[in-house]
Amino acid sequence: MPEKIQDAQKMFHNEVGKIKTRQEAEQLSVKYIGRTGIVSELMKVIPKLPVDKRASYGKQVNALKDEICRTLTDLIHSLSLDKKPANQKEFFDVTLPGKPTDVGKKHPITQTIDDIKDVFARLGFEVAYGPEVELEYYNFDALNIPSDHPSRTDFDTFYIKEDVLLRSQTSTVQIRIMEKQKPPVRIIAPGVVYRPDTVDARHSFMFHQVEGLLVDESVSFADLKGTLNQFIKSYFGQNVQMRLRPSFFPFTEPSAEVDISCSLCSGKGCSVCSYSGWVEILGAGMVDPNVFEAVHYDAEKYTGFAFGLGVERVAMLKYGINDIRLFYENDMRFLSQF
Amino acid sequence: MKISYSWLKEYVCFDLSPKMLADKLTGAGLVAASIEPFEDDYCIDLEVTANRSDCMGIIGIAREVAAITKGKLQLPCTDISREGDGDISQNVKVEVKEPLLCSQYTARVIRNITVKPSPEWLQKRLKCIGLRPVNNVVDITNYVMMESGQPLHAFDLDTVSGGQIHVRKAESGEEIVAINGARRVLFHDMLVIADEKRPIAIAGVMGEKETEVTDATRNILIECAQFEPRQVRRTSKTLGIVSDSSCRFERGVDPLGLDFASKRAAKLIIEHAGGEMCKDIIDVSANRNEAKKVVLRIERVKKILGVDINRDVILDILRSLQFKILNCADTFIDVEIPGFRGDVSREIDLIEEVSRIYDYNNIPAKTAIGIRGSKKSKYEIVENLIRNNLTGLGFYETKTFSIVNHAFLKGVNLWSGEDVVEIANPLRQEESILRTSLLPSLAKVKIHNANHGCEKVKLFEIAKIYLKGEKLPHEKVCLSLLDSAGFFEGKGIVQSLLKNLEIHEKCEWVTFHEKTRLFNNEKAAKILMDGKTLGYIGEASKELGFKTLCTLIELDVDALVEKAHFDKKYCEPSPYPMIKRDFAIVVDEEKTWASIEDCINGGKISIVKEVNYFDIYRGKQIPEGKKSIAFNLCFQSHERTLKSEEVDNASEVILDALYKKLGAELRRQ
Repeated sequence: MPEKIQDAQKMFHNEVGKIKTRQEAEQLSVKYIGRTGIVSELMKVIPKLPVDKRASYGKQVNALKDEICRTLTDLIHSLSLDKKPANQKEFFDVTLPGKPTDVGKKHPITQTIDDIKDVFARLGFEVAYGPEVELEYYNFDALNIPSDHPSRTDFDTFYIKEDVLLRSQTSTVQIRIMEKQKPPVRIIAPGVVYRPDTVDARHSFMFHQVEGLLVDESVSFADLKGTLNQFIKSYFGQNVQMRLRPSFFPFTEPSAEVDISCSLCSGKGCSVCSYSGWVEILGAGMVDPNVFEAVHYDAEKYTGFAFGLGVERVAMLKYGINDIRLFYENDMRFLSQF
Repeated sequence: MKISYSWLKEYVCFDLSPKMLADKLTGAGLVAASIEPFEDDYCIDLEVTANRSDCMGIIGIAREVAAITKGKLQLPCTDISREGDGDISQNVKVEVKEPLLCSQYTARVIRNITVKPSPEWLQKRLKCIGLRPVNNVVDITNYVMMESGQPLHAFDLDTVSGGQIHVRKAESGEEIVAINGARRVLFHDMLVIADEKRPIAIAGVMGEKETEVTDATRNILIECAQFEPRQVRRTSKTLGIVSDSSCRFERGVDPLGLDFASKRAAKLIIEHAGGEMCKDIIDVSANRNEAKKVVLRIERVKKILGVDINRDVILDILRSLQFKILNCADTFIDVEIPGFRGDVSREIDLIEEVSRIYDYNNIPAKTAIGIRGSKKSKYEIVENLIRNNLTGLGFYETKTFSIVNHAFLKGVNLWSGEDVVEIANPLRQEESILRTSLLPSLAKVKIHNANHGCEKVKLFEIAKIYLKGEKLPHEKVCLSLLDSAGFFEGKGIVQSLLKNLEIHEKCEWVTFHEKTRLFNNEKAAKILMDGKTLGYIGEASKELGFKTLCTLIELDVDALVEKAHFDKKYCEPSPYPMIKRDFAIVVDEEKTWASIEDCINGGKISIVKEVNYFDIYRGKQIPEGKKSIAFNLCFQSHERTLKSEEVDNASEVILDALYKKLGAELRRQ
């Protein structure tokens, strides 16, 4: 190392050891690495050196500059923190609260739909969507709902005009997908549906459903049970029991209502399950041959199952929410809990 | 459908407590909503699904119980002990003018009866299931209806003018006072039972006051008919009269069950009210119903249910439900469907019957649907990414109603004008519009929270808006944000979202001059990409009534999905140093940063890697009407270390261009 550089280094170490205040440190900084400081002076020599020496000389000066810079930065930093005399040591209280960083939350309905989607995605179901303003054909006719069925009246369905309505169920998506796609089909369709129910703690004129559909060459009621059982155990817990009751939906035959053992009272009976030990969570069944006919599937060759569940209902059960209106009020005291 | 536990026991042998019976029925599809004790009996309230009209009578329930418990079914006796000599045709004439709406009308006449209270046991049974006893004749027609599911009506024959029964359409404006006292004006499309002069019953719904059976009644006509379900439903709904009769006709009654009900009622009336029945029955039928025949393939049962049920078990179940087995081979069964099972007409319906009685809970749960890959759609990926990004930035997701009121959307004018999709039958008249923007809903949420002590909120929602289309409206998915901060914080969020979605196309931010009640007129912009509207951003107008600074943003998610791409490739950073140079230029006040940036990038100087704005200054040293804009340029090459002169030259070229195009001068102080 050339002498001049060594001297400068020694001198710096000597001086830096005596520094007591931040001001002194800053002065030292100007003296060494300021525009006309010692390091600058060392640089100026470069053009005068023999060509083969220049590179290594330059490198060493730069290394010194870096060292000085680092030392002084650290020193200045520690001097500015330590304003109190050294003998009056501060206690570092780790129990003081952290600086708040607010992270937002997804809406509980989104979280519920995401959870349901996750379970079914692992079983090979893909997500499908359809319009909310629908033709009467998709909401009723193609789903084997007779033209005089009470659900078609304007007490049970919102109409835009003669044959255009706000879908009252996500089953519409079944038809739209089957019209476009040959079997096998394996979809779930989450979405908003509408019914002119007067709003109270249990009813909302707008709510969410998730529809599921599986069609293939040999799908049976036993497969429906197996699939729903997987879902219920994954979503509600391994200890939850499932029960099926015969029911009636025009678009499935046989049809079933699916109950789960009440998680609140573990089946012993409480107000949530009306003291029956069971809570209804979804409707399901084997796709009715008339539905297959509407989408030109061969009902002899293909069979399938479908199911539909109310998202708010499932979320209310899971989180113990007692009023459906809370979902749409969006009070921060509600949203921040999920 | 309310049933009495002890009444049911009369028709079927079973050994189950009311609770066990209720559980069994629930398992077969008749959900027991409640069990209430009544004296020494129990009332069980069963929910009957819309397809099971047969279970609207206790005998129907008894058939179910017989099938579930394998108990024996005992139908009540209809043998009439005394038949009088009088000829019915001399007492009454029946004419059915609307055979499509009334496919069968039967009438019996009983003379010289004594109207009095019903016997104790009968009153008790009616009370148990919530019916009010009236007199022996009315109670018996009700009793038989509850027993068989077939509604009956008794007229005081002497009040039927001319002894004539006409089943006809009402004449518009005709009036009727129903038995419950309700006065109604009838319309032409309603079906009535009329005598020579006037309507004496709303067909299938309710009888008329004057012809009802009273204590003074001596001679009666018992009507037992079949009315078209839609007709009854429409009339009942229009008139606002719902009766036990109308809700049975609405579901459809057993076309082969009229004779049984009529005889049964006559028998009980003669037993308890005396009198003698005229010979014969008047029976006006449009057409005789033929029993349906259905073939059930054993293999098909297995294919649908996924369980191998023995043929003999299937046979047992069908027989226990009173289906008639016509022929039975190894692979199939020919089945005749009884009249009361109007809901069964196909093979699949029979399979449901088999599975129901076999018990759904005895069918195994299989997990053999086979593996199949599932892929997330681009829409899902984008939606997820947006949600994750925004929640990470402290935004809370909301869900608000798509149906809003007129005032809500008035003056919003973002994606559409005042043209909206309207609901024809809204719940409340003021809430009848499908929204064309989500922002008013977010504003409402903000106000709600402010009123509850939470002033500063950060909200977002992803939902559809509805723009008028041809047949169906155009449903556009939008992302709306409400940030408790200024315009540029909001813009920064949009830019970081675009960056995370790998959307690198240039966005144009154009001052939004159009009038909207949402935005502060000056601090609002329309965001354009490829000439199309990507969205809107603006600081909230005073009109919204917020107490704090707020920025509203609405973006077209469909456009984001279209532009987003996720085929990422790693790009190695340059190993050579980057050189930064700071500049401050003075330009006319109205010159935009975008024009400066365009001018710099327009030079296409390859070593210019970044142009970063950092400050704007107006003040003493700057002439009036001008502003000073500070920015830095980052120079870098992928091939070599840049020389100072190269950077100097490039800077010169840029400053020269800025001077020529925008009159920008380098700030000297």
